[in-house]
Amino acid sequence: MKVNLVYCHPSEASITAAARDRALAGLHAAGHDVRVNDLYAEGFVPELSAWERTNHLSPPDTKPAIAPYADNLRWCEALVLVYPTWWAGQPAMLKGWIDRVWVAGVAYELPAGSTRIRPQLHNIRRIVAITTHGSTKFVNALEGEAGKRIVTRSLRVLCSKRARTKWVALYNIDRSTDARRTAYLSRVENAMRNLR
Amino acid sequence: MQNVVVLAHPNPDGFTHAVAGRACAGFLAAGHEVHLLDLYALGFRAAMSLQEHVAYNGDHPAIDPLVVEHGELVRNAGALVFVYPTWWSSLPAILKGWLERVMVPGVAFVFNTEGKVRPGLTNVRRIVGISTYGSPRAYVKLVNDNGRRTITRALRLNTGVRTRSTWLGLYAIDNSTAPQRTAFLDRVEKRMRSL
Repeated sequence: MKVNLVYCHPSEASITAAARDRALAGLHAAGHDVRVNDLYAEGFVPELSAWERTNHLSPPDTKPAIAPYADNLRWCEALVLVYPTWWAGQPAMLKGWIDRVWVAGVAYELPAGSTRIRPQLHNIRRIVAITTHGSTKFVNALEGEAGKRIVTRSLRVLCSKRARTKWVALYNIDRSTDARRTAYLSRVENAMRNLR
Repeated sequence: MQNVVVLAHPNPDGFTHAVAGRACAGFLAAGHEVHLLDLYALGFRAAMSLQEHVAYNGDHPAIDPLVVEHGELVRNAGALVFVYPTWWSSLPAILKGWLERVMVPGVAFVFNTEGKVRPGLTNVRRIVGISTYGSPRAYVKLVNDNGRRTITRALRLNTGVRTRSTWLGLYAIDNSTAPQRTAFLDRVEKRMRSL
């Protein structure tokens, strides 16, 4: 399977970095074809510019800065997002990747005269989020699971109609034990090994 | 009352800037003090840096002077107002990053001796979200209005128990008429004046 793994964390010392490594180990063990984007390391600029906003319907070839990211998105069959949940959702860096890369001509089309967008990422049939939450599952439910809904609803509708989503999360990480962290990393690797 | 209006839109001539202007006008008309934080104009950096991530759990999590300044404004704010366009059902990256970098331990919340999070924004009596949406209201509800949830739930949990939230949305903006947009601007100013 062709997999685009998008990793977002500023620190190599984080459990998110460890989760990325275990995810890659699982993907490689299963023989998947993987393209990695490391948003911090690649110096991705998360702020959508005024020009991009004004020209948000212009074809993607007018936006060379996002081309490598858009190519991976159009190429992959599975999208794997690896990030920490901050303020109930994706870090700004990853939200910026969504704001800037999931644009007209890449993620959707807006036919002339229509007001309804047409999904374009039919190639993506699996979306996996690998994340950590500082707070408990209960608090996340109370907060409305914004990050999860962005993935399972807003992004999912732009992919294949049959696209399935998977959530691999460690909650309450501030008070987690080594055993729970180890179990989480094993879950990450297994999920990637069994991706199909 | 001192109020803070956080504005997140790259285009200074756009509708969102007009909305923020009218929100400020409403506060001023009511005799309140208002600080407008235009994140794009300030060159606010969305992404939390490695240095900031390292400092996060220390005694001084805010290291960028702009972030320190915004944190002090938030600590003294009676009302916190967010003006932004909803993109992919949520906050623009620059506003999400503002929450991550400004709302750090010691500003938005504190850790108690057991390591549990406790509210820090007890000074904030009102949280206001003002957003434009490309989608109609029914679709926004269906995808969960994640930006609104982030502000009225995740952030709201860090204020006092009596803090109220107010939401003003202009839906399906691409199909809206000029009178509808004008009416929305009037509504924003009137609502801020009477908060």
